[in-house]
Amino acid sequence: MATRTKSGRHGWAAVIRTPLGLSAGLLLLLVLLLAVFAPVLWSHQASAIDTDHLLEGPSASHWLGTDNLGRDIFYRVLVATRQSIALALLATAIAVVTGLLLGTAPAVLGRRAGRLVTAVVNVAVAFPGLLLALFFAVIFGVGAKGAVLAIGFAGAPAFARLTQTLVAGVAARDFVAAARIAGAGRIRLLVRHILPNISEPLVVNATIGAGGALLAFAGLSFLGLGVQPPAYDWGRLMGESLNSIYVHPAAALAPGVAVVISGLAFNLFGEAVAKGLGVESIGVTRYRRCSEDSAQPEAPTSQYVVEDVVLSVRDLRVTFLGPDGPITPVRGVSFTIGHGEAVGVVGESGSGKSLTALAVAQLIEPPGQVSAERLDYLREPLLDTPDADRRQLLGTSFAMVFQDPTTSFNPTKRIGAQLAEGAREHQGLTRQQATTRAIDRLRAVRVPAAERRAGQYPHEFSGGMRQRAMIGMGLMGEPALIVADEPTTALDVTVQRQVLRLLESIRTEDGVALLLISHDITVIGQVCDRVLVMYAGRIVEDLPATALATGARHPYTRALLAAVPDLDTDLEQPLAVIPGRPVDPGRLPSGCAFAARCEFADDRCRTEDPELETQLDEGHRVACWHPQVVELGWPIRMGQR
Amino acid sequence: MADTNGTAMSELTFEQVTVRFGTGSRALTAVDSVDLTVPSGQVVGLVGESGSGKSTLARAAVGLTELAGGQILLDGVPLQHRSRGPRPLQLVFQDPYSSLDPRMTIGNSIAEAVPRSADYSRAGEVARLLELVDLDPERASAYPAALSGGQRQRVALARALAGRPEVILADEITSALDVSVQGTVLNLVRDLQRQLHLSMLFISHNLAVVRYVSDYIAVMYLGRIVEFGPAAELLGDPQHPYTRELLAAAPRRGALALDVEELDPALRAVADAEPADPHHPPPGCRFHPRCPIGPLVRPDRELCQTVDPTPDAGRHRHHTACHYAAAALQAVDLVQ
Repeated sequence: MATRTKSGRHGWAAVIRTPLGLSAGLLLLLVLLLAVFAPVLWSHQASAIDTDHLLEGPSASHWLGTDNLGRDIFYRVLVATRQSIALALLATAIAVVTGLLLGTAPAVLGRRAGRLVTAVVNVAVAFPGLLLALFFAVIFGVGAKGAVLAIGFAGAPAFARLTQTLVAGVAARDFVAAARIAGAGRIRLLVRHILPNISEPLVVNATIGAGGALLAFAGLSFLGLGVQPPAYDWGRLMGESLNSIYVHPAAALAPGVAVVISGLAFNLFGEAVAKGLGVESIGVTRYRRCSEDSAQPEAPTSQYVVEDVVLSVRDLRVTFLGPDGPITPVRGVSFTIGHGEAVGVVGESGSGKSLTALAVAQLIEPPGQVSAERLDYLREPLLDTPDADRRQLLGTSFAMVFQDPTTSFNPTKRIGAQLAEGAREHQGLTRQQATTRAIDRLRAVRVPAAERRAGQYPHEFSGGMRQRAMIGMGLMGEPALIVADEPTTALDVTVQRQVLRLLESIRTEDGVALLLISHDITVIGQVCDRVLVMYAGRIVEDLPATALATGARHPYTRALLAAVPDLDTDLEQPLAVIPGRPVDPGRLPSGCAFAARCEFADDRCRTEDPELETQLDEGHRVACWHPQVVELGWPIRMGQR
Repeated sequence: MADTNGTAMSELTFEQVTVRFGTGSRALTAVDSVDLTVPSGQVVGLVGESGSGKSTLARAAVGLTELAGGQILLDGVPLQHRSRGPRPLQLVFQDPYSSLDPRMTIGNSIAEAVPRSADYSRAGEVARLLELVDLDPERASAYPAALSGGQRQRVALARALAGRPEVILADEITSALDVSVQGTVLNLVRDLQRQLHLSMLFISHNLAVVRYVSDYIAVMYLGRIVEFGPAAELLGDPQHPYTRELLAAAPRRGALALDVEELDPALRAVADAEPADPHHPPPGCRFHPRCPIGPLVRPDRELCQTVDPTPDAGRHRHHTACHYAAAALQAVDLVQ
């Protein structure tokens, strides 16, 4: 969002900075300068009739030869720039203005009139542009004026259609509705809210459209439907020289080359602008897995020894390249998950909790970089295992559940087939076996009428059912770990409870470990054995869920707990809040990242970053210089064990 | 009529309001004959799951969606949605990232909603509103991109107040925010409400949040209001089985919200049942396929499958639309 808004000003500069943008920009500038100055400088030479040198080839005095009146073709091509470019731009202007009027009309007019305009534009778009141009040329008469109108109106439907689509996209956004409620009229909505937000793609398309208009104009003039003598443009020059193309090819080719160069200048500039404004400014680096460059002091690992470790992570880092250097949203995370253990990761948006989950699942795409001193899954070091083996390992013994169940299935394939796909690939099952297993697994995740539902498409499933099917997909193999990234955030509370219950019963019945990521500390408290609290890319507290209620030591954990209103919150008191805002991972302060928002922070907190260290009891680690030991004033009992 | 804040709040009434999308077999009745009153100077919390029609009701009130039936009255006068000028109802949207124009400074966004008047300058009014929502008036020239989610939501509130509305409709205004920020917005909403005596319809899926700001609570299920009553009473003694289910799912001190004990198979089935498809709402009571005290658990209660309890809601406490509202009491032990 931020980058999109910034793109307005910085984007244009970025366009010029790319090699393509720069050369296209310079070329376009040259063409425009020629259009302005060539007639002033050379119109005399271009119209000088020299009867001694009729239809001559290239020579020292006439670089491109002369025409049938002995006029210098080189100068004529240069001088024709103005006529060609001006007419093309005029035609583009007509296309843009007409297109804008037609395209924005549905937003301004009432519903019925709007529909009529849309229908008219749809019909017009269906006609080929050249056909329309010829049609209009006949109506408006042969000549420059007719050709401009013809090309202008022929280009309008496409532009109108684009505008309509863009307007519809922006008009559906909440800020437009908000302005409507605030009492802004339709015209004001259009001018103040809609047009500024669609201007970039429109400018880009107008630029590309100008290139097209130039070509179309050359075509019409060449056919004799455009500029009429004594005026001339590139198309006209081409047409005049065509008869002698075998004798004096240069005379016919030169205006052609001019058309191509100018057309390219417009089109390339348009493309460069589109690219510059459309692409986010994230640098691209090669993806590499590194474990050697961990210059940081070794993060202390959990003292809390878990037999039968499923996942062991030490000093996990995830790095992206931002506009101002690398950003590390996950900075040295260490934890282990035992067999059948449920570990929750909680934190605000931007705390790095989801990236931690994705890094564990090996789903960080380049240019993101994952590094870790250790990232062992079932004793296999994931970062050093060859790709094929890793896919096999994760494919059969690992499951991932995402936040949004609507996007995690392929909408065009049946649910059953999607579940079966992985099993056929990784477990070598036949189609029949895989389908049987898929139905069995759907039944296991309590999808009613599993056999029938397996044959349905994702859109026929409700959100909660889709999330169950997603979990069922994870259970196709024999997972030792399910990583669930905000699995219930998109679901209603009653459905959330169903999904959490399901995860819980899978865990107890099959001994599957669970890594549950959530922003909701109450959800984590309900489901998990152990809670990792993340802030600014680090674990700040690692504690048993049973201790969450009364034994949290880190001020951030305590503040998070206090901030969640529940059904017993005191209505007379204001809600507890955490002052300030989360840290921007690109601008980390020295010392403890939470210091600026912490009521206990002192100078040490602002200079030295505390390590995650074991406190008083086993299995409770805190990264804080001033861990709070006083019992919480808000005893929240959430853990069920 | 206008005191210092220009707020003479008044009563908003929905009378048999119906909103329908689409036509023919694809028609969807998002809001079905809803009667609801937001008393003057009071906050009515509206809870329900996604697709229950809560937001549609609010959008209908501000004229973003057309009514298929019924009417919406402000102090007994049907609302007219003029295309220009300030409107007596203002809506605050869920997502502060899409409800502010990214190309407009926040000052301009607010100023746009300030009605033209000789009594005050627009700039002064913008500064006053920003201060009202605890933002530095100096920031009027900032673009939304420079603000955090909580700050944006406060700007959205200021914009809603700029039109000196008589009723504020708040549609899930904290659900896009982090918990740490949610508190500041909720505190602000409460302060403003007390300070300005706003009438407010506060929509949220989170019962704990609704409880914190509301005087009354209405529970909505599949386009119908199933229970309505004073907040403390409704939460303390819920009558409708759906309200009970919502309460059971909400976090609560000392209560175990998640139980994995094996339930009776019939109860298990309704607990795992899918929310009904709004395109094909179940006949009779819309909640019956998921009801723990309904016909799927108690076979003698066929009534629920055929007779809509809504018309008789007035006979029960909290206007509960349930044939067995009183009997729901005993069933709660079974579910929990």
